[in-house]
Amino acid sequence: MKSSLKIVLWVGVAVVGAAALAKIALQRGEPIHATWFVVAAVCCYAVAYRFYSAFVAAKLLALDDTRATPAERHGDGRDFVPTNKWILFGHHFAAIAGPGPLVGPTLAAQFGYLPGTLWLIAGAALGGCVQDFVILLCSIRRDGKSLGEMAREEVSKRGGFIAQLAVLAIMIILLGVIALVVVNALKSSPWATFTLAMTIPIALLLGIYLRFVRPGRVLEASIGGVTLVCLAVVAGQWVAESPAWAPVFTLSGVALAFALIAYGLAASALPVWLLLAPRDYLSAFIKAGAIISLAAGILLVRPQVLMPPLTRFVDGSGPVFAGKIFPFCFITIACGAVSGFHSLISSGTTPKMILRESHARMIGYGAMLMESFVGVMAMVAACAMTPGVYFAMNSPPSIVGATPDAAAQTISAWGYPLAAQTMADLAHRVGEQTLWNRAGGAPSLAVGMAQIFSNTIGGERLLSIWYHFAIMFEALFILTVLDAGTRVGRFMVQELAGRLWPPMRRTNWMPGVLLSSAIIVGAWGYFLYQGVIDPLGGINSLWPLFGIANQLLAAVALVVATTILLKMGRLRWIWVTILPTALLVVVTMTASYQKIFSPNPRIGFLSYANALAAQIAAGQISAAKLSDIHRIIFNQRLDAGVTAVLALAILVLLVEAAFQWYAILTKGRAPVLRETPYVATQWVEGD
Amino acid sequence: MHFLIPPMKRLLHRIWQAVREWCGDSAYERYLTCAAKLDTKQPLSPAEFYVEQTNRRYSRPNRCC
Repeated sequence: MKSSLKIVLWVGVAVVGAAALAKIALQRGEPIHATWFVVAAVCCYAVAYRFYSAFVAAKLLALDDTRATPAERHGDGRDFVPTNKWILFGHHFAAIAGPGPLVGPTLAAQFGYLPGTLWLIAGAALGGCVQDFVILLCSIRRDGKSLGEMAREEVSKRGGFIAQLAVLAIMIILLGVIALVVVNALKSSPWATFTLAMTIPIALLLGIYLRFVRPGRVLEASIGGVTLVCLAVVAGQWVAESPAWAPVFTLSGVALAFALIAYGLAASALPVWLLLAPRDYLSAFIKAGAIISLAAGILLVRPQVLMPPLTRFVDGSGPVFAGKIFPFCFITIACGAVSGFHSLISSGTTPKMILRESHARMIGYGAMLMESFVGVMAMVAACAMTPGVYFAMNSPPSIVGATPDAAAQTISAWGYPLAAQTMADLAHRVGEQTLWNRAGGAPSLAVGMAQIFSNTIGGERLLSIWYHFAIMFEALFILTVLDAGTRVGRFMVQELAGRLWPPMRRTNWMPGVLLSSAIIVGAWGYFLYQGVIDPLGGINSLWPLFGIANQLLAAVALVVATTILLKMGRLRWIWVTILPTALLVVVTMTASYQKIFSPNPRIGFLSYANALAAQIAAGQISAAKLSDIHRIIFNQRLDAGVTAVLALAILVLLVEAAFQWYAILTKGRAPVLRETPYVATQWVEGD
Repeated sequence: MHFLIPPMKRLLHRIWQAVREWCGDSAYERYLTCAAKLDTKQPLSPAEFYVEQTNRRYSRPNRCC
């Protein structure tokens, strides 16, 4: 294409994107079409990819296609497998896209659609994508080493230990929180519980087929499995309507929490081919299908976004979680904008499969843009429902009132009109007993998705099927993260315990396997349990804690990346990683401080604990509830301690890195870069 | 219209191969090719390879939040 034509084209894309952004930012008083969100996001991503990622690739990273990648040098057909860039893009995207970009934006919708949407787009383009891209390249140049190994080698031994600690901590908090999302989606819902329960025998069946009948034939097994899962969604309706079976699958939050804990323990200790791997295959197919369908649905139906751009809860009094836009919007939306967890994927499997360094741009930067787009779609789906319904589903009874009438009155008084009957009708239409107090994001996203899907196919008649399909889809891939994360956490515990007692390191020694599985499941199970019994709904305390941990891990990754880039002599362009690092440090430190010390009991862990202690001292708590309240007080203090330890760990890493940076910049110490030596590629162009 | 059939067939074949590779269906075939190149005396059987591959893949973070 002629260069003048290209210039016109890209100016056009930028102008259209800016116009769409202006439209969604300046819209007041009337609903806005979802198409504006899609146009704004796609144009911004296109410009960011075409120009910013190209700049990062050329100036900051200086990608070199003459350099042999680990896949070429070590190609063994197992770990190091040269893979086509489009296929690796699919692998990488499937690995990084979990429930986070769906749940985070749904929760952040309480501020209105605008803050979350802007953070999703800008945070991804300038922060999250850069992190994924840079870490991927750093790992490629180190034979696919992990973030912890790179931190140990390039920053310091202590830095490596802190990174490992941060990974383990985020893993535990993450698993506890996403398990809570599943519990809130399934409680008192026989249909959803039955459907999810059925995925276990279906996965076992697949596991046996793939191990003994047709080893490794993933495609045919997954197609069969997905068909069975879809049948289970339909069969769930019969179960929910059956007087005999419905009570069996109607479980309380506590019962579901213990069921998930038992499941996590089993999935971690059982052979991986039996349950974990086949469930992951099912999840990957359903994830791909559901995300594509959601995108198609939004484009076809073009729903109206009914949530205002900004709600009254920007002042920090939000019912879903307390706290102002800064820093809590940036914490609530981690995945979809900047997610530290991605650095573990970018420094794990992907760098061992990449064909050429230049592919890292599309895979590292591009896949994260895709995830951000998933976050924008989740925001649209959540904001497409009536604001009153959204707040009814996501607010705990301790804030809105225990009865439907009281809750409807409170929410209407906020300026979001709602009748109690509306909620009863909606619950009936989607085949649920109730939709009140279903915090966690999954049910409200499912209602939003179901409305979009049913407007595309099936109409009102299929609304309940679509709702339960959406719940199954979210719960299924949350459970996949849960069992895969538990297993990885188990290995981390085994490695740490193995330093004290070497037999623990043996991954096939059953007592060690069971003990380490019990430790990791016990740890996240504790967070889950405290979330389930929390009168404020659990999500209020735990989701920000998860966001802080995830963003702190992103800060770790960016600090490691900055150190490496300084050693490479890229001082001139170092702002590319320094600026997002600074933002993340400010955000996470502010959020950590507020979560620990805020005098508002809905925000500060300590003030909430103190408020409850004062109620006990004043004799306002009945004897029957005394032990529960004591446990909640302990949990709040524990959360404060965990937040403080994480924040302190990152500050120590920052100081360690700052010493390194100072030494490099003042030339006090010759920088030692631990890259694998350059080897020229033997592959011709086009390989 | 006949002239469109061969390119369409090629395109469908490529899509099919890409889907197989994405989901891991063709992992064993790739392993065998690599084992032949490396002159591996006794390559793993499909079942052995499948178990070994799943054990390796799920021993490190491979699914994100």
